Amino acid sequence: MSHLLTLQDLSKAFFGVHAVQGVTLNIPEGAVTGLIGENGAGKSTLMNMIGGIHQPTSGSMYWRDTPYTPRDTAAATETGIAFIHQELNLFYNLTISENLFIDGFPKRLGLIDRKAIDSRTRELLKLLDLDLAPDTLLGELSPGERQLVEIAKALHREAELIIFDEPTTSLTPREIERLFEVIDRLRSNGKTVIFISHVLGDVERLCDHIAVMRDGQLVAEGPTSDFGIPEMIQAMIGRELSALFPDRTAQPGAEIVAEAINLTQPGVMKDVSFQIRSGEILGLFGLMGSGRSELARVLFGLDPVASGEIKLGGKPLSGGPQARIRAGLAFVTENRREEGLLMDAPISDNLSLVSISRFGRTPLNLVDRPGIAQATADISDQVTLKAGDISVQPAKALSGGNQQKVVIGKWLMEDPRLFILDEPTRGVDVGAKYEIYTLADRLAAEGGAVLIISSELEELMGMCDRIMVMNQGEIIDTFAEKPWSQKAILAAAFREVAA
Amino acid sequence: MNTDLSRLALRNATILIFTAVLVLFGLVAPGFLSPENLFNIVKQSSFIGIAAIGITFVLLTRGIDLSVGSVMYLGPLIAGFAMRDYGVGVAGGFAVAILAGLAMGAINAFFIVRLGIAPFIVTLATLFFFRGAGTWMTSSRQFDFDREMLDFGLSSVAGIPVPILLFALALVIAHLTLTRTTFGKQVYAIGADPEAAKKAGIRTGTIETGVFLISATTASVAGFVLISQIGRLDVAFGEGREFDVIAAAVLGGASLFGGVGTAWGTAVGATLIQTVKTGLIFSGINLYLQPIALGLVIFVAVLLDSLRAWRLQVSQRRAIRAEVAD
Amino acid sequence: MTDTPVAGKLPGTGATRPGLAATLSRRAQDLLLSDYFVLYLSLAYFIILIPFLPNLSNPANISNILSNMWPLLVVATGQTFVLTVGGIDLSQGSVIGLTSVIAGALLATAASGSVLANAPIWGIIISEEGGLLAGHTGAIWIGIAAMLATAALIGAINGISVAVLNMPPFMVTLVGLIVYGALAIWLTQSENIRPLPESFIQLGKGDIVSVYLGEQDEPRIPRRQIYSFVTYPMLIAVGIAIAASILLSRTVFGRYVYAIGANRRAAEISGVPVRRVIVAVFVISALCAAAGSILYSARLEGGRPTLGEGAFLLDVIGAVVIGGTSLFGGRGRILWTVFGVLFFVLLSNTLNLMNLSSFHIDMVKGGVILGAAMLNVLRERLIRERSR
Repeated sequence: MSHLLTLQDLSKAFFGVHAVQGVTLNIPEGAVTGLIGENGAGKSTLMNMIGGIHQPTSGSMYWRDTPYTPRDTAAATETGIAFIHQELNLFYNLTISENLFIDGFPKRLGLIDRKAIDSRTRELLKLLDLDLAPDTLLGELSPGERQLVEIAKALHREAELIIFDEPTTSLTPREIERLFEVIDRLRSNGKTVIFISHVLGDVERLCDHIAVMRDGQLVAEGPTSDFGIPEMIQAMIGRELSALFPDRTAQPGAEIVAEAINLTQPGVMKDVSFQIRSGEILGLFGLMGSGRSELARVLFGLDPVASGEIKLGGKPLSGGPQARIRAGLAFVTENRREEGLLMDAPISDNLSLVSISRFGRTPLNLVDRPGIAQATADISDQVTLKAGDISVQPAKALSGGNQQKVVIGKWLMEDPRLFILDEPTRGVDVGAKYEIYTLADRLAAEGGAVLIISSELEELMGMCDRIMVMNQGEIIDTFAEKPWSQKAILAAAFREVAA
Repeated sequence: MNTDLSRLALRNATILIFTAVLVLFGLVAPGFLSPENLFNIVKQSSFIGIAAIGITFVLLTRGIDLSVGSVMYLGPLIAGFAMRDYGVGVAGGFAVAILAGLAMGAINAFFIVRLGIAPFIVTLATLFFFRGAGTWMTSSRQFDFDREMLDFGLSSVAGIPVPILLFALALVIAHLTLTRTTFGKQVYAIGADPEAAKKAGIRTGTIETGVFLISATTASVAGFVLISQIGRLDVAFGEGREFDVIAAAVLGGASLFGGVGTAWGTAVGATLIQTVKTGLIFSGINLYLQPIALGLVIFVAVLLDSLRAWRLQVSQRRAIRAEVAD
Repeated sequence: MTDTPVAGKLPGTGATRPGLAATLSRRAQDLLLSDYFVLYLSLAYFIILIPFLPNLSNPANISNILSNMWPLLVVATGQTFVLTVGGIDLSQGSVIGLTSVIAGALLATAASGSVLANAPIWGIIISEEGGLLAGHTGAIWIGIAAMLATAALIGAINGISVAVLNMPPFMVTLVGLIVYGALAIWLTQSENIRPLPESFIQLGKGDIVSVYLGEQDEPRIPRRQIYSFVTYPMLIAVGIAIAASILLSRTVFGRYVYAIGANRRAAEISGVPVRRVIVAVFVISALCAAAGSILYSARLEGGRPTLGEGAFLLDVIGAVVIGGTSLFGGRGRILWTVFGVLFFVLLSNTLNLMNLSSFHIDMVKGGVILGAAMLNVLRERLIRERSR
């Protein structure tokens, strides 16, 4: 098998620190190569060098055995490389065909030749088995269909190498299946694919070759048949799974802290019931689009629910976020930037935001500034925040892990009974992850209840007492026995439920 | 069931309001629906309409242009000086108005695109600046045009008055530009997602410069067209018109948040505003009350627009279960 | 929206250049980032111009600058709240006109039928004997209460449209600008209502401390040599500004305003009563406009429907933005607005002293707004670099 792209001893250093070091890798033509590794392992840097965003510090790349030195993304596109990211570069207010041609339209008499773009688009959509009219507005498509449009765009630019970066995180299981079929078809048409994913089952199912990165280096490589999922994990983290997680210090108690009874909202969820006891960490596992984040929003009063009841400490919850916060709920959302932090505001303002009304002093409701300074300093110690002067430094100047600690810290100031953590370790490095897990354990040990929502099964298995699995808006199963049966949990999460 | 109906109603809100307005005034004031009157309304719409078509480009890219009212004043004024002092004639004056518009647009674009200052502030400043320049040139006096200017403004080609022709021309050019050129499509792309547009290889700075050039040029032309019907330029000409122009575009479905809007819609919006104004005069409502009625029409249109945006958001929310929402 | 160059990077080239922090001296940076920057700027401007404009430092002129400053400060204070929460209030000008009419209609001590006979309020609220409350004890307090109540209602309508109906503040308050302005003009058919009672006029003109700078042994003090410094408008404006400053920077409510302006969604999830706060902010803005209307109406000794029309609003927003308050929310201070208003008033005053006509003043104003915006871009870049 010939090689489409060859990386030769490729390194990239930022300010003297190696993000990628001495990677030598052949990408076989007409095959799917899986690239796996933890966040910060150097996958993105490697891909950015291929895509022309970063230039290598040393080493070289070859495209069909001729030197390949892309100066920018345009050069990479020109060569025949296309990226499919989680966040798509598409425009909701343009049609499918307009999206494909946005950087240059064929013209007739000085105007866009609609016939030409529509027929070309129809051709490409057919190739992907996508039965849509070329003049459909993108805004009317589902996330899965949009991703296929992005693939059509890659094909339109005659890409030879298509790099998928975590393509499945925003897709429903059905859409994922369809994507995989398309990738299979691309391969049989002679296209080359690099598939980056954290879902190791997908990598195993889809890829011909697997390359594993850790700490900027290529640590393992070979045909998929050489790997099982345990081998992949072993190679990725270089140590046993248990070392990633702190020991749990408490057992679930008898008291039921929170309870959901038959929560139902048409189109979103059906008959969702569960209980969390004091001292318990309950995991909620599900794929993107299974309804897990929606459940969190319903619990927190952000989204409506048609029927069912939520109780906290035996009392029914109602109203919006304010009332529920007062009742003892805390919610770390999956989206730090948009929903978690005031990025430009000082860290201390972020930490005090939830509990600010407690610092109001009558009669004028003036804020007790020394009190806040004291409390926020205490809390930043508690969450082991690494920051400068918290009354000055803005939240956006912190690393991802420290930002997440600020979000958790602002809720800690309220002493919540039930802590909902939605994807708490997304975009957070390994060290900070460990600290966040430790915080979750401490919350439970102090008698609170913790609900962790995650698409990383490993972290749920490492931290939780029980794991609920959600699929198509229903709780399919709840697992309690250790050792966990990863297979059974994944099977439940992937199972298509007859609607 | 009725959700489809309400969606349809929201999508065509402006047309519905328009129909309601026509029927209402038709009932109240006989003669309102006469062909001459309707023709007149379109003619009077051309002033706001031409400028509003231009500002639609700016709104589509999430920008705003508050300077149009002053451009409407300064553009024709420069043209007037050129006609009086250099005898360039009406055609030459028209060309000068276009050039002056381009120059003022370039000033806006320079500060916005090159220096990275918010469009709201830049165009607020040039609103003062352009008007100040104009009143300085005239020493705060009225500027009278030659007779030939009026002849041009009141002339017609094949029975169609020149203002309507120019309005139609602006509409057709803008429509083709927005729907059938790469520039137009990239304008929509920037409005939808500026970051993604940059990543997709669109030269956002160039496009933004283009929209501010267009906005100022149409404003200058719009001013020229109205002045050619009046024959003189008052000191306060165009003052506050920026709001009429923006309102026309928003009434026609353009969003202040970018990405949504059409040239047709804006033309309809401008005509709707003029229809309401004329209708209010026809029905003999107190002169001072008329802006209130107009304001309420705009309010309803904006309200419907925000309802539409909200519905769109709801419908885009992921359906997790294969049940029908609602 | 715009292609803002990233600090330290030349747009397009990707090459780094030394940051601002490296090129500007530490002291220059501190000055640029200081809360008092605009005050320093105003003082420097004032001092530099004294040799060229000898009248500038006359007590009469300083007293004039101050008296122009107070009403504008009151209105700008309200606008500061709205901008900080991430909105904009274009309806302030029309609130001033409408409440001025209300003051006139209720309080006028007499009225002429030949002027007002066509007005819809003639014979109902106002007649030859004056306004509805003319001659009643405590009339001016009831009149003021009516002005404030009307403003509060308008503010609530604006706020609910923005916070609950999710309409863009620009359009909502633009409609308000048109509708309430027209209403004010309709009520009086564009006529002014006067005279107002002396006790009301005192609010806009009354002296508390005046200074006589003439010869000590003059038997009679000429009126024009008495210079007012401490006046009722000053007390009212300073009082409102101090209260607003405490409200915005020291109370829980103020913290909510900043949080919503910085990130509305995050604020909502953190339990901030977003809708209530936004409505309250628009009410505050309208109330400040009404308070400004009291000062302006009293000073002009009449109810004027056209008060606050036209470029006035741009003065208000311009002054607030020059002070340093961000148009995009999350950053704003009343103190900044005080200095911004001072600068704006000083600027207009000096341009008048230079015998520049209104059109020159407009041009310079435009240039100054642009200059301030460029300074702001510079400041934000410095802040970004420093926070790294």
